[in-house]
Amino acid sequence: MGFCMRRVAVIGVGQTSYGLSPERTLKSLFAEAARAAFADVPGGLDPGAVDEAYIGSLSTGGSQLGNFAPLMLESAGMTGVSGRHVESACASSGFAFRDAYLAVASGAARIAAAGGIEKMSDLPRERTRSWLGVSGDVEWERLAGTNFPGIYAMMARRHMHEHGTTKAQITAVGVKNRANAVANPTAQVRKAITLDQALAMPMLADPFCLADACGITDGASMVLLCDWETARAFTDTPVEVVGSGAGTDFVAIHDRPSLTRLPAARKAACQAYAQAGLGPADIDLAEVHDCFTIGEILAYADLGFCDEAEAGRLVADGVTARDGPRPVNVSGGLIGKGHPIGATGTGQIYELVHQLRGTAREPSRQIAAPRYGLAHNVGGSGGSVAVHILKAAD
Amino acid sequence: MSAYISLPMFGAGTGQRLRLEAGRCRSCAALVYPQRPQCPGCGDDAFDTAPLSGTGTLYTYTVIAGGGAPAEFDDQQTMTGPLTVGVVALTEGPHVIAQIADADPETLEIGMPLRAVVRRLFDQEGVVRYGTKFVPAADA
Ligand SMILES: [Zn+2]
Repeated sequence: MGFCMRRVAVIGVGQTSYGLSPERTLKSLFAEAARAAFADVPGGLDPGAVDEAYIGSLSTGGSQLGNFAPLMLESAGMTGVSGRHVESACASSGFAFRDAYLAVASGAARIAAAGGIEKMSDLPRERTRSWLGVSGDVEWERLAGTNFPGIYAMMARRHMHEHGTTKAQITAVGVKNRANAVANPTAQVRKAITLDQALAMPMLADPFCLADACGITDGASMVLLCDWETARAFTDTPVEVVGSGAGTDFVAIHDRPSLTRLPAARKAACQAYAQAGLGPADIDLAEVHDCFTIGEILAYADLGFCDEAEAGRLVADGVTARDGPRPVNVSGGLIGKGHPIGATGTGQIYELVHQLRGTAREPSRQIAAPRYGLAHNVGGSGGSVAVHILKAAD
Repeated sequence: MSAYISLPMFGAGTGQRLRLEAGRCRSCAALVYPQRPQCPGCGDDAFDTAPLSGTGTLYTYTVIAGGGAPAEFDDQQTMTGPLTVGVVALTEGPHVIAQIADADPETLEIGMPLRAVVRRLFDQEGVVRYGTKFVPAADA
């Protein structure tokens, strides 16, 4: 990171509940998240005071391709604010958050907003299948006949082959994250299942069954960032962004030398850890990208929580459970909380900020006095990754 | 609704799609397949055409449940049900994603020998688009 970067804090976070809202408009969903974010700033903040806004989305199946950001901003009382749409597939708002962070850290903006939105439930099935299959290398992945579950399934099978990871260990991620979602009032899938029930669900893309995948979700999220010097004027509990990292990689998995790691995640994590002066052992909780169960298994090693070969055991042994030594996806993750594609990255920040402030709503969800939280947001099958580390107020 | 690859663009790729033509980097001799605008190793953009043998082994695979494959493959799924896709480690080194045909999924194993065949992929703009699939080499 540059030598003259300013310190940056998150001063307000907002999010809709995740779920199915086919009757609601994009504007109404985004407005709800934005209103919640402004209302979350204890000292109050005028929406017009935002200097730069970054809105992540996969353009909701093409229903609103052009001028996406101004449309969202006008719905949130932010007409006139400089804004733009950020697209990085499922990591769209992870990158929006990084852009907002960089804008404030560089001194170009005093206050920046990062948000995201997706509305997936009201598209015809035809459109959904087309839209969700074009974030890979279309020419060589989709047009060979594979979908996204298939891409991640091929990574899972390779992990099983190279490391002896079992199907039960991988699917245990889906069981854990559904269990975590039960206590989260904003989560979509609030029903726990046993591992036996999970393993008996219909096949999706072998070795994945339905329990290994996230579903279709509507939702929006927005967070507000401010320079550290003035953050205290807005809140007594500013959450500092101590590390920000991002990377990209070959989009098609056949162009990567290994399928049991995501180099973009490793680069992003290294960058964020180095900037924060921290290591994996310092992280008290993490929200990671479990669009498919193997995604969380890959994240354990990519983030340095364990070696690749140990990753399956980490979840099966309860290390990453809510009451384990290193809780991962206390929110329920993408599988339990939901994955409204463009909203997911800033939705992860929403969860971490609440956990780090001690305001995780349901007491049973609150991790005891965490100091550092990490967010890991993956685009596609690892073509783009953003990692952020947040620190609780002293 | 389909992902659109224009006929001229598809046609320009027939050498690498149907004849498995890789690019041999003129600077560092790296074999690049699928072809790309510049060598990932050294950055040079000059290549000689280097046909691959079409043999390889199965690196990983999945069986996509009925109705799950991309819309372009609806006809195929209607006729054949689940669709098997794999990453093939070609004998010369590069990997490529392709369908695995003429094989009972239960008999697939990582490392098994495969060979390339030209097969119909899908129809678009009323034209059949052909590409390479892989079949068990034992059936050769
Ligand atoms: Zn070269």
